[in-house]
Parts: sequence; structure tokens; C-alpha cells
Amino acid sequence: MKNLILAVAAFSILAACKNESEKKDNATAEEMAKDQVVNVYTHRHYEPDQNIFKMFEEKTGIKVKVINASADELIQKMKMEGKQSPADVLITVDAGRLSRAKDEGLLQSVESEVLENAIPSYLRDVDNQWFGLTKRARIIAYAKDRVNPEDLSTYEDLVNEKWEGKILVRSSSNIYNQSLMASIIANNGEEEAKRWAEGIVANMARSPKGSDRDQVKAVVAGEGDLAFVNSYYIGKMLNSPDAEEVKTAQQIGLFFPNQEGRGTHVNVSGAGVAKYAPNKENAIRFIEFLISEEAQQIFTDANYEYPIIESVAPVKDIKAWGAFKEDTLGLNKLGANNKKAVLIFDEAGWK
Amino acid sequence: MRQGGNKNKAFSLKTRLKRLKRDSNRWSVFTLAIVLFLALPIVFIGVELFSGPGETWGHIVEYLLPDYIWNSLYLVFFCSILVLVLGVSSAWFVSRFDFLFRKQMEWLLILPLAIPSYIVGYAYAGIFDYGGSMDLIFRQLNLDFVRIDIMNRAGLAFVLSISLFPYVYVSARAFFLNQANNLLEASKMLGVGEAKTFFKLMLPLARPAIVAGLVLVLMEVLNDYGAAKYYGVNTFTTGIFRSWFSLEEPQTAVYLSALLILIIFALILFEKWQVRKVKFTSAKSNSTQIQRKEPKGAIKWGIFSVVLLPILLGFILPVAQLIYWAILTASTVFDFRFIVLSLQSFGIAITSAIITVFFALLLIYFSKWSALRFIKNVARVGVLGYAIPGAVIAIGIMIPTLALDKWLIKMLGNFGIDSGLIINGTLIALFYAYAVRFLAVAYNPIDSTALKVDNSIPDSSKVLGVGNLKTFFKIEFPLIKTGVFSAVILVFIDVMKELPLTLILKPYHVDTLAVKAFEYASDEMVMEASIPSLFIIFTAMIPVIFLNKLLIKK
Repeated sequence: MKNLILAVAAFSILAACKNESEKKDNATAEEMAKDQVVNVYTHRHYEPDQNIFKMFEEKTGIKVKVINASADELIQKMKMEGKQSPADVLITVDAGRLSRAKDEGLLQSVESEVLENAIPSYLRDVDNQWFGLTKRARIIAYAKDRVNPEDLSTYEDLVNEKWEGKILVRSSSNIYNQSLMASIIANNGEEEAKRWAEGIVANMARSPKGSDRDQVKAVVAGEGDLAFVNSYYIGKMLNSPDAEEVKTAQQIGLFFPNQEGRGTHVNVSGAGVAKYAPNKENAIRFIEFLISEEAQQIFTDANYEYPIIESVAPVKDIKAWGAFKEDTLGLNKLGANNKKAVLIFDEAGWK
Repeated sequence: MRQGGNKNKAFSLKTRLKRLKRDSNRWSVFTLAIVLFLALPIVFIGVELFSGPGETWGHIVEYLLPDYIWNSLYLVFFCSILVLVLGVSSAWFVSRFDFLFRKQMEWLLILPLAIPSYIVGYAYAGIFDYGGSMDLIFRQLNLDFVRIDIMNRAGLAFVLSISLFPYVYVSARAFFLNQANNLLEASKMLGVGEAKTFFKLMLPLARPAIVAGLVLVLMEVLNDYGAAKYYGVNTFTTGIFRSWFSLEEPQTAVYLSALLILIIFALILFEKWQVRKVKFTSAKSNSTQIQRKEPKGAIKWGIFSVVLLPILLGFILPVAQLIYWAILTASTVFDFRFIVLSLQSFGIAITSAIITVFFALLLIYFSKWSALRFIKNVARVGVLGYAIPGAVIAIGIMIPTLALDKWLIKMLGNFGIDSGLIINGTLIALFYAYAVRFLAVAYNPIDSTALKVDNSIPDSSKVLGVGNLKTFFKIEFPLIKTGVFSAVILVFIDVMKELPLTLILKPYHVDTLAVKAFEYASDEMVMEASIPSLFIIFTAMIPVIFLNKLLIKK
């Protein structure tokens, strides 16, 4: 039996080492033809992304090497690696983190007509250090049987006492809530934003916990009537392998706030070229590919995000919700106000 | 009078210095070198302490800190109780009695450890959720389902206890299996009853081993991030992440980590203090095993259920939920790459387990062979890494290794060699990080078994002129084998499910199952995370079963 353990151990160490040596082979290949690689640090942990990367490899012959971690950790890693950082592209799931990376001096401006023409200016950095890839809207899911959608109007109106004990929302440590708050600070000022946070806390049905999907489930379970949710999670729930989850998602109505005014808060998943990118040209080609029609089609079809380019229509589940007016606040503001947003959350007691 | 006292003090200081010179030997130097090597990342974090917290510290103290302290204390208190009850009772029953499926249950009791706690958290949420498994079952039976809300502080204490109690189980059982027989027989001869023997004799004697396990549990409880975040409970660790990433103040995060280290240090001192009061050594470590009793009737079933309960709650229920999810998602997620991935994770985990246990042995024995008594306490600094969140350790690792890398690049540059990072982004950095992080997991079970070995045996061997190393391999190692095997299993399992360190430090193209599970779970694809999670569990089962056989073999 001991031998068996040893054999398995040896075999698996070999498996691990094999990968190491493969890595070395790549490194030598890298030296011979430096333009054949693009190193991607990404927070997008989505399976469909792998397919997009594969398409890019087939099309260009440039190999995509991926490090997956949360954006915060990736930014920390790039900071510490400094000039030696192998990162070419940083991808995050929100604009706030990208502007933080920019502020830390981790990204560089790039000139690309393709990107500038395709992406509306409010969805990319003013210095073209980062670009939106897909859009998500922060919307309200409501209980169809208990809420008349005509009673809903704006994010600001949710502090109205008629919603007391009815609002479900996740923790303020979540970046989507922080970005929403940052947009409210940018639009209404800090004072108003703080009053808003306090009003929401007063109207909460329960102490914040769980994920966006859990808030939607809690609406259907009757714990509250309204839930803050990211649009693409509803898309995912509607297509969930779990029949119960599909049923749950079908039972709620969706409302896009602030349609009469500035529009619904949107955030992007986006990408920027790293300051010390060893393969800058490849990095730009890679990001350009991510906003091509074929890539955008996969983003929306498989991950239920809104495409960033107009020529691709959203997948049918999302399309069914209709077009809506977006808040065109420059997303740079989200990063600039992020820390203020967190401080206000704490002061208001939004856990 | 007072003067005299001063004189005495001065005298003793001088004597102490003299003794220091007299007693220090090469083992003292080796110990210090190893401690320094392993504590380096912790030291780098500690140094940051002196630059003070960031500007939001006042804000944190005012709005958040009371909550962090209160919730962390709550978890420490309730997890301690639950873990002790579950861990000690099951360890005692499987060591003392023989009953149906005892052999299988002996290793099943270790397996709850193999499921990352945050996955157990998700699984329980899935069981009690609206539209969750319980809901469905009740609907099938046409019963009204009273929803149990598990996503709160009490629920978190339950989830963490149920997934971490095996630390106590493993160390308590190692004690009962190897130490208890003589005492039991003596107690039996004196006509003392079963219950009294356990509470008056076995429990006090097993205390060092039990507390060693408990300290590991509490370190992990304080360090938990995923489950606490999902359940909406703000603890020190969620606070560390909040101040680091949301408030954008790494210094404040480090400051909070340092406070956490202080708490852990207090726990370790407490353990030391209470072990000091119990001195018990046995020369014949695993010479005789307990003669198990075979209970009859109701008692038999009672014992059976008491042992089954933690297995049911910590393993069978969450795994059943994961299997249900795996069936739902198999068509989209399952991939044969998972088998390769399992082998890779296995290889990384077993290698790091061996490296970490090796370092633990070096520390324990070098400090023992060093005649300086305080060295033993210095050695303990090495185990603090377990209490620090992995992401923070990763920074502590990157500071020195990057500096070394940059120096190497510069040196090689002089020779016209253009090299990239040599240590960072390779398995070397990862293995180093695991050793720093999991040293405590290896150190505690070995140390508590090593404590039981009567010094007179190795001493007489040395008197006969046999060297330290030879004595160790010929005499001491066989006596502490059980502790060493337990340590290997525990570190192996911990590395299998380790996440934050792996994410930050892993090389390209090296993936682990835990990373795969996290990729899904972090995007609310909890169901999809079930398949890689199940692979972690099954891969972890292999060494648990095999090493367990080695453990109980005479």
C-alpha cells in the first residue's frame, strides 16, 4: 500500500512538474517570438471567456496566458511586481477598480481607433487607459403580486417610508453597491448620498447578506418586496440548470430606475493595457478583439451582459426587458468616489 | 532591602548572560535560522505595524471595530463549545468502543475538513433556502416547510464548527489510541466506572492534545473569509479585506492583521500555560492499543448515533447537496480536465505537506536539542502564519521574494542574461508560502505527541554516545509516527482547499481544484462550483484512508 501511495504521489508530482516545464518551453518560445503571447490578469471567472480567448488564439496565433483572481488581488500583485510584471492586460468586472489601477499608475494610455470609435466616451477612461467591454445595469427586482410597478420611480424614492421593511440588498462590501453609491455621490452630492444610505438601511427587510441571487430568492420567499440586483444575474437565473431557480426568476418583475431623469446606473466589465506590458501590441489587439462582434455576441449570449457595441443585439432574455435609458455619468467618477462611498456606508450602518 | 533586590537582579542578569553563552549550541543557531526563514513574511507584516494604521483608523474604530470584536468573540466562544463536544465525544467513542461501521466512521470523521468551509456554507444555504432541497422535500411530502434561516451569526458558528471539528477529533483520538490503555486498565482494576474514568481521568490527561486541536480550529475560525462574507457576519478578517480593498488602505489592513495576531498569540500562551499544568509522559507510546468494548442494546445505538451525527452534518448532508448540484450542472461543467487537475492538486498538496512537516520536525527537534529554554518559545513564532489571512501572507511572501528576484535579475543582468522573475510565479514561491501558512497545522499534532515521549529514552541513547540525528530516526521518530502522519494528512487537506495564497502566487497554467471551485462560486455560480468541490473531497479521501490505515496499524 505504501508503494501505491508513493506511485500516485510521484505521478502527480510529475504532472505538476510537467506543467512547469511546459511553462519553461513557453518561455523560450517567448524569447524567440515575443509577439506570440499575451498575459492576461482577469477577474472575469466565466467559462465563455475561455472560448473567446481560444478564438483569439486561433485567429491571431497569439497565445493567451491567464491569471485568474479578484481584481483587488491582481492590482496588488501588479503593484508589487512593478516593472517586472508579466501582465499585459488587466480585466475587471467594474469600472471602479480600473480607475484605481489607473491611479496607482498600473495602466497606460493606448491609441486605438477601433476602441475609440466603438465605445461611447462615458464607458471608457478619459485618457484611454481602460475600456468598457460589457455593460450591466443595477436594477430593482420586485414581487409582482405585492408591488405595483407604477409606485416605483427612482433609486432616491426607495427611502420613502412606504418601503419600510421591504428592501433587500446585499452587503456594502460588494463592489456593485459601492459603484451605485459612488454614482449617487457624483449625481447628488455627499450629504444627499448619506441621507439616502440611512433611508435604505431604515427600510431594509433584513440585515444584508448573501449574493444578488439570494436577494431575488428572498423576494419570492416573501421576506421583502424589492431587491437590488445586477441585470446579468437575472439572465443567469432564467437559464439556471436548477428548475427552482428558473421558476423564481420568472416570478419577479424588473424595474429600471430613474428613467425619467438621469437614467439607470450602469457599470462595465472592462480592460486596460498594463503600464509595463511586455507585449503591448498584442494587448491592444486582444482588447480590440474583445469588442469585436463575434466576441461581444458570446458575452451576451452566454453571460447575459449588455454588449458595449451597438451593432450586436443583447441576447433574447435581456432584449425582452426592452431598451432603457442609461446614466451617462463618466465611469471615472465611480473610482474617484469609491472610498467615500464605503465610508458613508459605514456611517449609515449599511453592513 | 531594596538595594539587595537590585543587586540580586544584576547578579541574575549576569548569570543569565553566562548561561546563554554556555547553553547555546549549533541547534540553537539552526532553530533561529529556520524560524527566521519561516517567520520572514510575518516579520515583514509586523514591521508595517510601526508605520501605524491609515487615516481611516478612527473611522474603523468608531463604526466597525466593536462589531468585529463582538462577532469574532461570539464565533470563538460558540465554535469552541461545539467543536469540543463533537470532536472529543466522537474521538472517545471510536477509540473506546467497537460498533457497527466503526472502522469506516473513523476516517469519515476526518473528511468534513476536506470541504472548504465556504462551500459548506453555500451547501447549507442551498439546503435551507427558498426553493432549496428541504423546501423541495417538504413540498413532495405535502408538508408546510418552516424555513430555517441559517445565514446569520449562529448559522456561521454552526457551519464553521461542523467543518472544523476534525482538528480536535484527530488530535484527541491520537492521544486516546496511544496513551489510554494502561490508564484504562488501572482505572478498571480500581473499579472506577466508565463515565467517571472518562471525565476524571482521560479528559484531563487528553487536555493538551485537545487544546492543540482547538487552537487550530480557532485560528481557522478567525481567519475565515468566504463563509463569513456570504453569511453577512463582519469579523476581523472581513474587516481586513474591507480596509485593504474597499477603503484602499493596506496599512490599516496590516494593522488589523497585527491585532488578530495578538489575539492568536494570547490563545497560544493560554495553551502553553494550561499544558504546563499537565505533565504526563509515556515511554511506551504505541506499544499497546486500547481494548475496545462492545456495548449492547440501547447504549450501542446511542453511541452509534453520537458518532454518526457529526459525520451526517459535516460530511453526508453537504456532500449530498453538492452531488445534487453536480447532477444538475454536469452537462455544462464536467470535463476530463478535472482528472488531470486532480492529479496536479494532489501532487502540489502532498509535496507541500511533506515540506511543511519536515520544517515542523526541524523546528521541534532543533529547539529541543538546543539547551536554551527560550528557544522553544521563539520556535512558536513560526506557527503564527496560520492565523493570518492567506492574502495578507501572500504580500508578506512577495516582499522578500521579489526583492531577491530583483537582485537576481540585476546580478544576472551584469552577465548579460535577461531573466524574468525566478522565484515569483513559480512553484517554489508557492511551496514556501504553504509552509509559512500551514506550519501550525503540522507543528501542533507533532508537538503534542512529542511531548508524550519520555525524555529518558532519547537521553539514555545519547548517554550511550549515539548522536541526536541517529537517536531521532531510530527511537523518537517511531514513537511520534502517529503525530507525523496526522500532520501530513491535515496539511495535505488544507493545501488542497487553500485559496487566496494560491490565487496570488500560483504559476500560469498551474491550476488547482480549489481555484476552479472559486472561479465559479465567486460569480454566484454556486451550483457549478459543486463538481470541482467534489473532486477536492474525493482526492482528499485517498490519503485520508491510506494514512489512517497506517495510523491504526500497530
